Amino acid sequence: MSFWRNNLLHLVKIFILSILDALAVWSATILFTEHKYIFLTILVLVTVVINYIYLSEKAYPLRYILPGTFFMILLVVYPIFYTVYVSFTNYGTGNILSKNQVIDQIENRYYLPDDSRDFSYEAFKLPDESKYAILLQDDNNYFLVVDQTIEEITLQDSRLIDLDNDGNIDKIDNYEHLPRADLLKNLSTLQNIEIPFNDNIIKMRSLSAFSIYRQQYKYFESEDRIFDIKNNISYYAQKGSYTSPDGEKLLPGFRTSIGWENYVRLLTDDRVSGPFLRVFIWTFEWAILSVLTTFALGLFMAILLNDNTLRFRKFYRVILILPYALPAFISVLIWRGLLNTEVGVVNQILQSLSLGSIPWLQSTFWSRFALIIINLWLGFPYMMLISLGALQSISPDLYEAAAIDGATGWQRFKHITLPLILVSLGPLLISSFAFNFNNFNVIYLFNEGGPPIVGAQTPAGGTDILISYTYRLSFESGRGSDFGLASSVSIIIFMITAVITWFNFKYTGALEEVKENV
Amino acid sequence: MKKFFVSILVLTLLFSFTALVSASEEGKLLIWADENRIQVLNSVKAQFESEYGIPVEIQEKAFGDIRDNMAVEAPSGEGPDIIVGAHDWLGALVSNGLISPIELGDKADDFYPVALEAFSWGEDLYALPYAIEAVGLIYNKDLVPDPPKNFNTFQIIVENITDEENDMYGFIMPQPDPYHTFPFISAAGGYVFGTNEDGTLNPNDVGLNNEGAITGLQRLDELYEEGYVPFVDYQTMTSLFTNGQVGMMLTGPWALPALEEAGINYGFAQLPFIEGQPPKPFVGVQGFMVSAFSKNKILAQAFLNEFIANKETMMGLYETGSRPPVYIPAAEEAAENPDIAGVLESAADGIPMPSIPEMASVWESWSDSLELILTQKQDVKPAMDNAVEQINKAIQASQ
Repeated sequence: MSFWRNNLLHLVKIFILSILDALAVWSATILFTEHKYIFLTILVLVTVVINYIYLSEKAYPLRYILPGTFFMILLVVYPIFYTVYVSFTNYGTGNILSKNQVIDQIENRYYLPDDSRDFSYEAFKLPDESKYAILLQDDNNYFLVVDQTIEEITLQDSRLIDLDNDGNIDKIDNYEHLPRADLLKNLSTLQNIEIPFNDNIIKMRSLSAFSIYRQQYKYFESEDRIFDIKNNISYYAQKGSYTSPDGEKLLPGFRTSIGWENYVRLLTDDRVSGPFLRVFIWTFEWAILSVLTTFALGLFMAILLNDNTLRFRKFYRVILILPYALPAFISVLIWRGLLNTEVGVVNQILQSLSLGSIPWLQSTFWSRFALIIINLWLGFPYMMLISLGALQSISPDLYEAAAIDGATGWQRFKHITLPLILVSLGPLLISSFAFNFNNFNVIYLFNEGGPPIVGAQTPAGGTDILISYTYRLSFESGRGSDFGLASSVSIIIFMITAVITWFNFKYTGALEEVKENV
Repeated sequence: MKKFFVSILVLTLLFSFTALVSASEEGKLLIWADENRIQVLNSVKAQFESEYGIPVEIQEKAFGDIRDNMAVEAPSGEGPDIIVGAHDWLGALVSNGLISPIELGDKADDFYPVALEAFSWGEDLYALPYAIEAVGLIYNKDLVPDPPKNFNTFQIIVENITDEENDMYGFIMPQPDPYHTFPFISAAGGYVFGTNEDGTLNPNDVGLNNEGAITGLQRLDELYEEGYVPFVDYQTMTSLFTNGQVGMMLTGPWALPALEEAGINYGFAQLPFIEGQPPKPFVGVQGFMVSAFSKNKILAQAFLNEFIANKETMMGLYETGSRPPVYIPAAEEAAENPDIAGVLESAADGIPMPSIPEMASVWESWSDSLELILTQKQDVKPAMDNAVEQINKAIQASQ
């Protein structure tokens, strides 16, 4: 029985592997024809490794690690390396193409000279090859194009054959006339034909005409220079754009490595350093207050819910978890509406109580206050859930002993519940801190980092935290998206959070204690 | 478990194949369009396929995704041949080298010049425009029988209707919103970017704090300062208007379908003149562009010139998009609807919203200063001076 089962499993394995290999071969040919050799090499290596691991007995243990490793490389390692790589480039609006693509595009720019002419045309094709002959007509002058060469001919030329004598040419040597339907199918090839003609070239202009064009730019590889033939200007590659000595740039620019420039910009730009301290302090306040308030409320609720004498516990639990279950994207926007200064419900209630209205979105203090409240609402259910779990693990014996010793409720909480719960929840609180440190969603959805600050040197708003502020700098400033700058920012923010978290762990000794208690 | 992982591996690989295979290919047109355009394009597609025998594939994308995905997919050869987009994308698309110029030939005369101007970059035209939009004055005919022609009458109407106790407002516009506020800035001579001698925009000349801009904003700010106009966002504005609590609001034709649905007796008019000058709103133009990485440029061009630039398609696009056409034969027919005539009139005085990439530096600082001004935290002049200083810094940092 097990013999058959093993063999069957083996067959299934071989079957899946062979499908995988077939797909790999197929995509390898595609990658090969598209000259993507790096991806091709990776594909071949990965396929070989997969085959080896799943077929060889020696590599048996590896087969369990492989899928995990594969996804870790794909989803964790690769993005990190890519971010580091991008942070050293000028990748962003205006610089997204590769240098070769840019040169190619600029070299293919043609203009119509003043003496340009339009030709009507008929196209002819060898039956089984994609070789074309084109008969161009300009008034009563005829030109025949075969194999990139052009010659002026007359209609009496012997190569032109009119089979049915209707005045239309049906064949040129062995090239057969393309009727409109076939012409359209061959258009994508025909449009790329460039015929040298004196100093100019003849190229397809539209469905119905060829025209005389002139090339505007020529690339000289040895000097890395693009020469504007029309205006007699040289452009040299400089920081991702071809730039003339006058500083004029040719569009588009290209993607290139710019060394530490993004980091230097971050450190020296007074648009960053100016509001940095203010933003940094508020980021800390925000993260700390968020963790403390949500944890305090969450733990309080958990202790209440943990009381066996409480009726309708399940009902309360469901109600209290609701904020966590709702997508923050929606609930933050609802809060924004509730807190609208002019027409929001909260202010209307305050007004009906004659308490005046509070500028929730217009004042920095109230905006921050509102954000803490919103994040409390959003975050306490999570803290409540994890606290509920942790409370279960505290032995009732301890409380019993405390009760015998005459401890009050507060003393029991302070000396038993809190220390024990912090042991297991410490690491979670620290990760919650790191999460809120970068909690872009809530900040941005509520007030987009606003309100603005009077007389500020940059658009950094009153509730902007580091991540939302740098988002503005990288994506809503300058020339649009600046992925290079954004990547260097995220690396720096990563370092800041890493250091803070490290100190937190170190200081609280959280990880060690967990180990002891496991 | 092992099989599960292997099948996931297979799936992952399969996805990478589909990405390779569905690249734009020769002899087939791939179009990216948003949902409002799909229906019309599908009928054009059928026509094109039967007449030309060339297959057309239309992929639906969210409007904003079309621009963003172009930057990622077009350079790797996976982009479309044609995209449907807005003229303010032009700066990013051209400076990224993602779209290529088109030729309208004789058909150019059939389009409003302002629409072609919006899609021009240097000497080249980069799109076939199909619709135009600009903000104007939408008024509730039950409260405001005749739309005001100048700012003084406008002010009187606003003061008469506004009654905060009963939540009635004479005038509302979304704030802080530079786009909607621009007419007040431009009326007396404010501008975003000055022009170079060759007609291109000069990012080093920002005119948001010149005398004209300050004058216009001061007139607007008076209404806020005296409490006649509430400081609200777009959603609040439209919901107040559809409740019949507002006499006039400043926004564009995109708000009209909701008003229709709510049964409001509304009209669309040009904004009141300020100091005898017509307010010049930002004009937005939508159009069809051809990818620089298309392998079928001639076909794409033929598709646009012959199948999009005709009255039938343009009317179809107008009916599903509810923005006035810029193709003159279609625009004339659409203008029989007085709302559309109003939008066209408003747009006729407008100026195309700058599409150079530096425009990205402008919005935030401008919006911040509007908020400070209209919530009475700062005076008009210092706030706008500060905004311009911020904008100049941001632009210099990117150069």
